[in-house]
Amino acid sequence: MPSSTSSSNPEARRPIYGKTLLAIILGMSAALGLVKAFAYINDASSETILGRVLEAKAALPQIVKEPQELAMVFGSSMVRAGFSPREFDQHLNDQGIQNIKSFNFGFGGLNPFFQDFLARRIKEAFVENDRRLKLAVIEFNPFQTTITRHQGALPIEDSFITMLGTEKEFRKILMDDPTRGVRLYNIKYLRDSISAEMVTSYFAQSFQEPRNRTELQRNEEMDKKRNELGELLNAAFDKEYPNYVNSQWSYEWQGGGTIAAERSPETLAIFEDYYATDLDPAKLDDDRLNRIHTADILEMNFSDELLEAFIRIVNEFKTFSDHVEVVLLPRNTDWIIYPESGKKRLQSAISRIETATNIKIKDHQNLPMMKPHMFNDTTHLNRYQGATTYTQYLAQQYHHFLIDE
Amino acid sequence: MLFNTPIFFIFLIVFLLFYGFVFLRHKPKIYFILVSSLVFYGTWNYRFIPLLVGSAVIDYFLAQAIYNSGQQRKKLLLTLSVVMNLGILALFKYADFVIQSVADFLNILGYQADLGSLSWVLPVGISFYTFQSLSYTIDVYRGDMKPRKGLAEFTTALAFFPQLVAGPILRAKHILPQFHKLPVPTWDMVCNGFLLVTIGLFKKTIADLLAGPAAMAFDGGAVSVLETWTGVLAFAGQIYGDFSGYSDMAIGIAMLIGFKIPLNFRLPYFALSPVQFWQRWHISLSTWLRDYLYISMGGKHNRIRNVMITMLLGGLWHGAAWTFVVWGLFHGLIIIATHQLGNSSVFAGFAHSQRFFNKLSKWIITFYLVLIGWVLFRANGMDSAWQIISQMHTFSGNLPDAGSKALLVFSLTVAALFFMHIMDYFVLNKTPQLMAKWWLFWPLLIIIQAICLLIGEPTNAFIYFQF
Repeated sequence: MPSSTSSSNPEARRPIYGKTLLAIILGMSAALGLVKAFAYINDASSETILGRVLEAKAALPQIVKEPQELAMVFGSSMVRAGFSPREFDQHLNDQGIQNIKSFNFGFGGLNPFFQDFLARRIKEAFVENDRRLKLAVIEFNPFQTTITRHQGALPIEDSFITMLGTEKEFRKILMDDPTRGVRLYNIKYLRDSISAEMVTSYFAQSFQEPRNRTELQRNEEMDKKRNELGELLNAAFDKEYPNYVNSQWSYEWQGGGTIAAERSPETLAIFEDYYATDLDPAKLDDDRLNRIHTADILEMNFSDELLEAFIRIVNEFKTFSDHVEVVLLPRNTDWIIYPESGKKRLQSAISRIETATNIKIKDHQNLPMMKPHMFNDTTHLNRYQGATTYTQYLAQQYHHFLIDE
Repeated sequence: MLFNTPIFFIFLIVFLLFYGFVFLRHKPKIYFILVSSLVFYGTWNYRFIPLLVGSAVIDYFLAQAIYNSGQQRKKLLLTLSVVMNLGILALFKYADFVIQSVADFLNILGYQADLGSLSWVLPVGISFYTFQSLSYTIDVYRGDMKPRKGLAEFTTALAFFPQLVAGPILRAKHILPQFHKLPVPTWDMVCNGFLLVTIGLFKKTIADLLAGPAAMAFDGGAVSVLETWTGVLAFAGQIYGDFSGYSDMAIGIAMLIGFKIPLNFRLPYFALSPVQFWQRWHISLSTWLRDYLYISMGGKHNRIRNVMITMLLGGLWHGAAWTFVVWGLFHGLIIIATHQLGNSSVFAGFAHSQRFFNKLSKWIITFYLVLIGWVLFRANGMDSAWQIISQMHTFSGNLPDAGSKALLVFSLTVAALFFMHIMDYFVLNKTPQLMAKWWLFWPLLIIIQAICLLIGEPTNAFIYFQF
């Protein structure tokens, strides 16, 4: 191993610093290479983590160039499951409103802090192209806005920011807080948006104490039947959609899913049976306990920061939308029963949003036409019963905003 | 700007580029280190730069004056230096503590006292650089060293970025000659530096992982004796990994530039007595307290008093809270007890025995006492400390309450604690052999770096920055 020694000639001193720099850069590059290899092996990438969001974001330039008037339902996974844009358009068409194209912008795993970034991207796309939304329906999801949910998302915060933010936003962060700015650039460009915190939180799950589990006995017969029906439905899908190109946010389907009109009566019959297997009380109770644990869905201790983020979202949409509606989506009233304390907090949060946005929130939690059997768990509507019914309701409620004046 | 952040990585690369290739002469290099160090410091709070530079300038001139003065004036000038350094420390760090303690005392006496608070932000690293600066004037006063010529060199040494915010606390007579010479590192030194930076980073990473179980016990989440012990052990690992990891990185970064900074930790949890623990834990502080406080008060001549005062002030150095005071006093007590027992005819044999089981017993007792100390150190108050200590010793048979994962977390905590020491043992004893095998050395470093890049906690500031 060569050894540099002290020298009175400054020129002779340079090699050691050159070697040191080279060792730092090569060593760090190799270590980052290993990190990338680890992410690759574990299939961790921005596409696998936020694929649906990124596909929807990428579709924005195409959306704003649509010749029709545009409508958008924006929210959480409850919107993703509960709104069927093509059926919505069809209902409007049936009512003589033919010039509307609606999109489902519902995404799981995004609390309002992250949704705010996406809302800014949507606004940019519309403003740059001088387009407006004819109707924006924004879901206020109380379960995504709790302190519990917020804290659970902290380890992934920087990763998601790098996936949803823009260069301009990164530069601003860099100017305000260089340490954080450099960190974000590092995560985005050297780590493919996979931060160390995200990796740690993923693996740390194995060391956490298990949450409360249901004491009800799982119906094994039902589970077995469900698996069998699932296989039949997969086969039916392959048969009925032979040319389907796999995507998490399908432009062709306007961000929604399949619709009943495209399915055979046999397939729909299988779905009826399949949905019945969702109603195993043990499965639903366990789902409820999980959501209490991860999102505090009954007590709803709200995060100030997330409420403020939600208010920003609504105000952003107002700048490029002709009409903005804020709604609470239907609730599975058999399983999600708020205590008085939860109800009070929810009411207080609603009042705060209404005051800050000047928009009256429409509470669709207890719509009489929405029944507990229309849910495939404690929060999400199923497609051919729940989403279909709710989409029809939305079309009836809001069609007057979409009539050409 | 923490050592384990990407921005420091960029800072270091830019620093090395300019230091190695642009500034080639002595004076520009000194000024460049000074400016870089102030930039490094300024990323925390640039408003405290004048305080750092100001105390360096004053101590520089006070040391010159002390050297050139007669005995009477010398004493006065030293007093001035001590008052200035400790005064700054007292004002920023202890003023609110004193105000609050007085108010509490008055309340106990029945007076409703609300004396308010200053609520000043504590300048990062103030406890380290004031002690460092003070050691210079004391050394000159004692005649242990002559004052150095060169204000820039002195200020640069005090502000030297690798050790500025969390030590080790350098001695003027050790570091100033290096700034005068500006040594060029050898390749072996650079490799050693890389090893220390990597090991330090790894220990910091482990410390961050241990923060979770530690917080669980200290913030009231532990439900069983097992979880409480896990939390206390985890904190022992967290504070060791955090602080010794930072020290390793500081020493390693200094080595990359050519500077030698003395060791700050030497396997402290393998100590066989409380006295030995303090010879191995935060060595730069414990030797500072020994040389400038304990010995100044007379050392062994009034051991009990001197040890207690030294440890009390050592505890208070760590923070302005009664828990730190009690922690210091606790360590003072166990150090005195060790001395007393070692000198007694009954225990002397045991104390000096080299037999395996005796050594094992001494290790268990020492480690247990250190853990009790950490409870006092970390707890959110004396009530909380007492509750945790009680919980550690309340065998209510509720092990199953802890849940199925508790035993796994306990085992991993113990393993992490042990692993950090094993790693340090190899660094202390096997570094030359490891460096000779380059085909093992470099891949090992890269793999460890990669592991560190894969593990992260959102709140990962170094604990010792608050002191």
